[in-house]
Amino acid sequence: MANIAAQRIKREFKEVIKSEEVAKCAIKVELVNDNYTELKGEIAGPPETPYEGGTFVLEIKVPETYPFNPPKVRFITKIWHPNISSVTGAICLDILKDQWAAAMTLRTVLLSLQALLAAAEPDDPQDAVVAKQFKENQDMFRQTARHWTFIYAGGPHKNSDFDLKIRRLTDMGIEDHQARVALSSYNWDLERATEQLFS
Amino acid sequence: MAEGWTQNVRCRYYANGMCREGEACRYLHQEHAGSSLGTSLRTDLSEIRCRFYQRGSCVYGSRCRFVHAGEVSASSTNNVSQNTSMASSSTTLKNSPTHINKNGQGARYSQKTSVLKKQGISSDSGIWEDSDENWVNAPEFVPAGKDNILKTAEHVHLKSYAEVLNPVAGKRVSSPQPNLSSSSNKKKLCPFKEAGECKFGSQCVYVHGDTCDLCGHASLHPQDKEQRKKHINECIKQHEQAMELSFAVARSKDKTCGVCFEVVMEKSPREQRFGILPNCNHCFCLTCIRKWRQAKQFENKIIRACPECRVTSDFVCPSMYWVDTKEEKEKLIKDYKGALSVKDCKYFKSGRGKCPFGNKCFYLHAYPDGTKADVGPPVRQRRHSADIDVLQQVILWDFLDERENRWLYGIDELDDLVAFFSDSDDSDWSDYELFFD
Repeated sequence: MANIAAQRIKREFKEVIKSEEVAKCAIKVELVNDNYTELKGEIAGPPETPYEGGTFVLEIKVPETYPFNPPKVRFITKIWHPNISSVTGAICLDILKDQWAAAMTLRTVLLSLQALLAAAEPDDPQDAVVAKQFKENQDMFRQTARHWTFIYAGGPHKNSDFDLKIRRLTDMGIEDHQARVALSSYNWDLERATEQLFS
Repeated sequence: MAEGWTQNVRCRYYANGMCREGEACRYLHQEHAGSSLGTSLRTDLSEIRCRFYQRGSCVYGSRCRFVHAGEVSASSTNNVSQNTSMASSSTTLKNSPTHINKNGQGARYSQKTSVLKKQGISSDSGIWEDSDENWVNAPEFVPAGKDNILKTAEHVHLKSYAEVLNPVAGKRVSSPQPNLSSSSNKKKLCPFKEAGECKFGSQCVYVHGDTCDLCGHASLHPQDKEQRKKHINECIKQHEQAMELSFAVARSKDKTCGVCFEVVMEKSPREQRFGILPNCNHCFCLTCIRKWRQAKQFENKIIRACPECRVTSDFVCPSMYWVDTKEEKEKLIKDYKGALSVKDCKYFKSGRGKCPFGNKCFYLHAYPDGTKADVGPPVRQRRHSADIDVLQQVILWDFLDERENRWLYGIDELDDLVAFFSDSDDSDWSDYELFFD
C-alpha cells in the first residue's frame, strides 16, 4: 500500500475517533485489518427519517491511490433507499465517484452518507425500483424504509402488517429476505409479489 | 528627543563602577560591560571582543565570556546618525580625555580594550574627534611594553585604532572637508580587516573600517560617509530580509497539507514545499496538489479545483514558505511568472516552433536575436479536426506544473532545463490539456 494512503488513514482514524460525531454516536470507524486498507464504518440513521434509530454498517475499502481516489464504500446493512442498491449495498453518491476531492476524509464521507439518507436523490438512482416507489408513493416508501430499518438496522418501528405478509410468503417456502424484497418492490401487494416470485 | 539619544550611550563611569549620578544619569547603565575597574582576568575577558563573534559565528552566543560587539542594543544602532550629528557638542566628549588620563596608567590593557569597545559601540559617535589634543596620550600611543597579550588579535585591533583616528588626523592635515573630497582621495577598505583581522595592523595600506553595529564587520569606511550610509542601508536591508524570512518560517512551520495531512515543513526536505493556489487560501504541499491536478480519472473541472473548497485555480505556484496575506501572495506569483518569463518556451523554440499556448504562455517567446515575438492568442480548439484534437488535451498550466519543478532549483540551471525539455519532447501530449479561459 502506498505510504501516503496508510499514513493518511491513520491520521484520519484518530481524527474520527476524537470527533464530536463519535461522541454523539452518529458515526464510527473500526479497523478491519492491520494495514489500514479496509475499515468498517457505522452511521446512525438521521432523525426524522425512516432510518431513525437504525445503525448502518458500511464496508470501506481504501485504494492504494487514496486520497487521490475516493474510498470504495458500500452498505453492509440492507437498506431501502433510492440511491443505495437494496441488493448489493452499492452507493450512488457523486463524491464517491467523479466529484471526489483529495481533501475529503473518512469523516466527511460518513457524514455525507448520513446526509444522503436524509435527502435522497431519486433522479440519480442506484436502485430504480426504490426510486420509482419514492417518486410515486412517498408514504409507501417511508413505511418500507422504516420496516427495513427495523429488521436490518435495529430500528424501533415494528410493522405487524408487513411481518404478516412476509410470513404468508415464507410459509410458502420463500426465503425471508427474498419475500421482503418482492413485497417491497410491489408496494406490499401480496398477490403481485407472489406472482413475481412464482413466475 | 532632546536627551533621548544619550540613553543609548553607555555610561563610562558606570562601566567603571563609579558613576555618581546613579539612577539619574543621562547615560546608559548597563551591566554588560566590565562593571568594575578591577584588573581581574574576568574583567579583562569581558572587555575583549569575541573574535569568533566578529566573524559571525560564536558558538557560545550570549554565554560567551568575551564581548559581542554587535550585541549593542538595536536602539544605539538606530542612533548612529544622530550621534554623528550631535557628537561634537556632546558632553561625552569632554569626559573622554579625563577618562583616559585617569585610567591609562594602571590597568592599561583593560582600559585600552574598553576604550576600544566603546569606540566600537558608538562607532560613529565621534567621541574622540574633539579630544585631539589628548589622543596622543591614548593608550595606543603609549608603548605597551612587554605585555604579551599584545600578540593576540586584540593587538591587531589596538593597532588599528590609529586607523580609526585617521579621519580626525586627516581632516586636520590634508583635507578640510573630507566628506566632500573626491573618491580618489579615499583609501580602500581593507578586506582582511573587514572579514575578521588584518595581520598588518596599522601598517596596512588599506583603511581599517569601523565596526558596523549591525553586521559586526569592520565595514564602515572612516571617511567615506556615503559608503557608511550605503553599508548601513545594506545591513538594514539584510536584517529586514532576515526578519522576513524568519516570519515566513514562523508562519509556515505548523501548516499542514490538506491532502496528505502532514505538516509540510516536517516532510522530507525535498517535499518541504508549498503549492500555492492563486484563487483560494488552502494549504497543500506541492507534491500533493500537483498529483491531484494530474489525476486522470476525474474531469478537469474537479482536479483544477481546490480539493477543499472547489474554487478553480489555473496554476499552482511553488513556494518555500506559506503566504498569508494577499500582498505576499501577489508578490510570490509575480516573481514566479517573472522567473518563467525569461526562459525560452520549448514549443516556440526561438521561432522555429509553434507554441499552442500563444500569448497565454508563461514562457519566453523570443527570436535568437532577442526580439520578442507576438504569437497572438492560443490556437482555438476545433473538435472536428483530428490533428488539433491532440492539442485539445493540453493544458498550459499543467504543463507548467511539470516544468516549474525546475524553476525551484534555481534559474541558473538553465542548461539542465534545456536538457530536461529536449528529453521530454517526445512526451505524450495527450497527458496535458490545453487551457482556454
